[in-house]
Amino acid sequence: MLTYLLSILVIMGIYMLLALALDLQYGFTGLINFGLAGFFGVGAYASALLTLKAGWTPLLSFPAAMLAAALLAWPLGRVALRLRDDYLAIVTLGFSEIVRLVLVQEQWLTNGVQGIPGVPRLGAGWGNARFSDMLLLVLLALSIAVAVAVLRRVTHSPYGRTIQAVRDDETAVYVLGKEPARFKTQVLMLGAALSGLAGAYFAHYMTYIVPDQFVPLITFYVWMAIIMGGVARLSGSVAGAVLLVLFLEGVRFTRGIIPGVSDADMGSVQLGVVGLVLILFMRWRPQGLFGGRGAR
Amino acid sequence: MNRRHLVAAFLAATAASSLSLSALAQTSDFVVGALSPLTGSGAPYGPGMVKGIQLAAKEINAAGGAQGAQFRVVVEDTQTAPQAAVSGAKKMIEVDKVRAILGCWSSGESLAVIPLTNEADIPLMHGSGAPALSADANPKRLGFRFQATNGRFGQAFAKVAERQGYKQPATMAFNNASGIGNTEGFTQAWKAAGGKVVASVVYEPNRPSYRSELQSVLRAKPDVIVTGSYLADTTILLREWYQTGIDTHWIIPGWAANADLIKALGPKVTEGIISVESVSNENAPNYAHVRDALGKEGVDVAGNVYAPMAYDQAIILALAVQALGPKATGSELAKKVHEIGTPGGEAVYSFADGKKLLEAGKRITYIGASSALNFDQYNDVTPDFAASFVENGKLVRKYVVKL
Amino acid sequence: MSYADYINLVINGLVEGLIIALPALALTLVYGLARFPNAATGDIVAVGGYAGLAAHHLTGSLIVAGLAGAAGGAVASVLAYLLAFRPVIRRSVITLLLTSIGVGFVIRAALGVAFGHDPRAFDMPLERAWRFGDISIAPADLSLAALTLLTLALVFFMLYATPLGRSLRAIADDPDLARVSGIRRERCMLAMWTIAGVVCGIAGTVTGMRTVVYPDAGWNMLLPAFAAAVVGGLGNPLGAVMGALLLGVLQELSTPFVGFVYKIALGYVVMMVVLLLRPQGLFNRPVGVR
Repeated sequence: MLTYLLSILVIMGIYMLLALALDLQYGFTGLINFGLAGFFGVGAYASALLTLKAGWTPLLSFPAAMLAAALLAWPLGRVALRLRDDYLAIVTLGFSEIVRLVLVQEQWLTNGVQGIPGVPRLGAGWGNARFSDMLLLVLLALSIAVAVAVLRRVTHSPYGRTIQAVRDDETAVYVLGKEPARFKTQVLMLGAALSGLAGAYFAHYMTYIVPDQFVPLITFYVWMAIIMGGVARLSGSVAGAVLLVLFLEGVRFTRGIIPGVSDADMGSVQLGVVGLVLILFMRWRPQGLFGGRGAR
Repeated sequence: MNRRHLVAAFLAATAASSLSLSALAQTSDFVVGALSPLTGSGAPYGPGMVKGIQLAAKEINAAGGAQGAQFRVVVEDTQTAPQAAVSGAKKMIEVDKVRAILGCWSSGESLAVIPLTNEADIPLMHGSGAPALSADANPKRLGFRFQATNGRFGQAFAKVAERQGYKQPATMAFNNASGIGNTEGFTQAWKAAGGKVVASVVYEPNRPSYRSELQSVLRAKPDVIVTGSYLADTTILLREWYQTGIDTHWIIPGWAANADLIKALGPKVTEGIISVESVSNENAPNYAHVRDALGKEGVDVAGNVYAPMAYDQAIILALAVQALGPKATGSELAKKVHEIGTPGGEAVYSFADGKKLLEAGKRITYIGASSALNFDQYNDVTPDFAASFVENGKLVRKYVVKL
Repeated sequence: MSYADYINLVINGLVEGLIIALPALALTLVYGLARFPNAATGDIVAVGGYAGLAAHHLTGSLIVAGLAGAAGGAVASVLAYLLAFRPVIRRSVITLLLTSIGVGFVIRAALGVAFGHDPRAFDMPLERAWRFGDISIAPADLSLAALTLLTLALVFFMLYATPLGRSLRAIADDPDLARVSGIRRERCMLAMWTIAGVVCGIAGTVTGMRTVVYPDAGWNMLLPAFAAAVVGGLGNPLGAVMGALLLGVLQELSTPFVGFVYKIALGYVVMMVVLLLRPQGLFNRPVGVR
């Protein structure tokens, strides 16, 4: 059971990084990012290709993955950040689909729909698969701790107050002589870097990546996580990721419990429950289970 | 704070309960994992595959086990997703200590799991089509593929096209590994025989219309269009083709050109379509036996070709264990499985018969219910294919293609 | 590639645009009145497709199928409004948007459980296309065009020539003034959701007839419908249809240059370009988008 728990914890950790990224963008800065899966995928492919094809060590490919994702966020920021909420949502969604199509089409680089098998495990030369998984989990936990610490400093600093002001009242920010778009771009890039890091961990844990794993549904899973856990609250993002993974894995144990629903339909039921959670939380507890100021 | 404690307590309780369960495992059993899609898009096939493995285990144990070791099957659901397959496989390998993993279905599942089984030095037996599973992902030859590779499908298409006298084929492929694998297999085989492919198009899934794609192919005036497609997109393609009024022929994989397609489009549109599918080993005595035994369990073997494959996986593995003993390593077992799955020995069709001959020191060749196996150097099976023609709204099998 | 090939591409683009035009219209109607992009639009289209399929299966009549599709879409749309959207209608756009994502998931799950994931097709006779040299036009596509234009005409007639339409436009322009003038908001909202549902339902049946019906069909047309509505200008019915046609034609014309995979990306790129240069859309007057 320990190994199974280990794999669950790794997936939880990856979703935690994604939830932290999204919460920074939406909870603290009010950016509606429906394109998270795109940055996740770019980070995964960047690290996978650099280690597999160019022989880089993960020590370098992980930061490269973060950088690649962040750089990708920059043009998106320039285009989209002057737009209102709902337009931003549509544009970011379209953006992540464009990323996926590029991953599919540029086969010379990404191997297209065949995917990339054989991504090297972390610490492959030092031990067996179990050792790699433990090493990955330890590094992942460290990354999460660092991310939370950094984000806590950022959100409690004057910078953090500014971005929350951007979320609450952009005009006031202008009046104070600051340019909201600059902050939005920075937050978008920072969140993208975190998502790229999550992608790198994902690639080296799964050792096989394919464009179909980076679809909008992943983005909406993460949205569900931060909505359940509570926006604008870092501990909420972490808790939300735990709940999300418990839910996704819980399907494994609820097979056969609901009468009249065959096994094949459990996938549909899972989707329906995600939808219900979104609807119910938005209506009755928009601040999430763990609360948080500023949630709308 | 309360909720966080609740979550932690839940995790601890689950861990504790499952640790105690695994302590009950017996050490004299030979444990194998059945890792199949019980939910998700593979759900029509997964439960049947698991039942096939369990049926085989029953027969193996009834014959006294493999050198006395009883076969025990552990079942996990892949949810037809690489990620869930990986967590299921990890649990099986590390907790249940399985000696082999059987029953993987989709290429995503197998490609994600095979690094784990390679690392653990245990065989992986699957029914997936991805080319990488032959050599690139299979360096130790621990992976066994019980379904025809996409490349072989393509070769079968080429033989059919040649036999029908076509000279100017074009290809249309659904943009995924399987669809492209089929058409590339065809193209390679066709060009190797000196032919030319006049047009080839890869189309995106889930589109409402494929007219531009179709027109770009028809512009090259092919006499036959070979597809790597699925039911939904084939329906759209054929419908739009018929409306153009341009004459051509079609060679389509059997999972797309089936009774449902004929029902959707009607006899006029589908007249003359050639449907190519790999055939189960229908003349073998164990095919009828497996068909009936699984039929009693609610599995329709004609509609689920993967169920007899899974049955064969378990039987041939047990024969290898019988030959070498339950303490043999994964690599040793894999070599034995390869030997038993290739011609040269006395033909056997069941575990009991094979066990008798092995105890007498003879070399055996297991002929499977899903196919005659006949592993090649990559441990891929080389089944036969059937070409069926749609005539007056019915599929009629005309001939068998041997590669 | 001859000139005939290019004309065929344009025709294909118009046909694809017409398929997207109705969902884009429904999106823009809801946006005009309720002020949020309804991500469940695609799934309501799928409901219409299944309703039409069931009716056609029972009666064999295309007209009945169309009516059933419209009715199915209307019921789904109104139920979604009453159960999910109305309670949060005064909240922020993001709340409504996320709720609509949730509604879409629930509808898709229900369709998947009820009907399974196998694609289903309408049992319909097929006709050969008319050919003018190398240019081909299918009668089925002409019917599709006629039906879409008819639906459009009816919607426009409703919007511009009936009291209900005047009320809807008034609320869209200035909700407070409308209320003060005695226009009954709730009744108008119900009417609008019903109309949007009818439009979606017809779209679903028509698309189902041309292609196949499956639970995810709606989600797959959502993003193109969004792009079309945004390009035309959210809230502008004519803009939604023109945007759909424009994007359809541009995508198909681009295929000789970018291929069949990237043509899909082109739609999103055009959307972003329009938002950058003319954020109110091609057919709208400048209004607060930034």
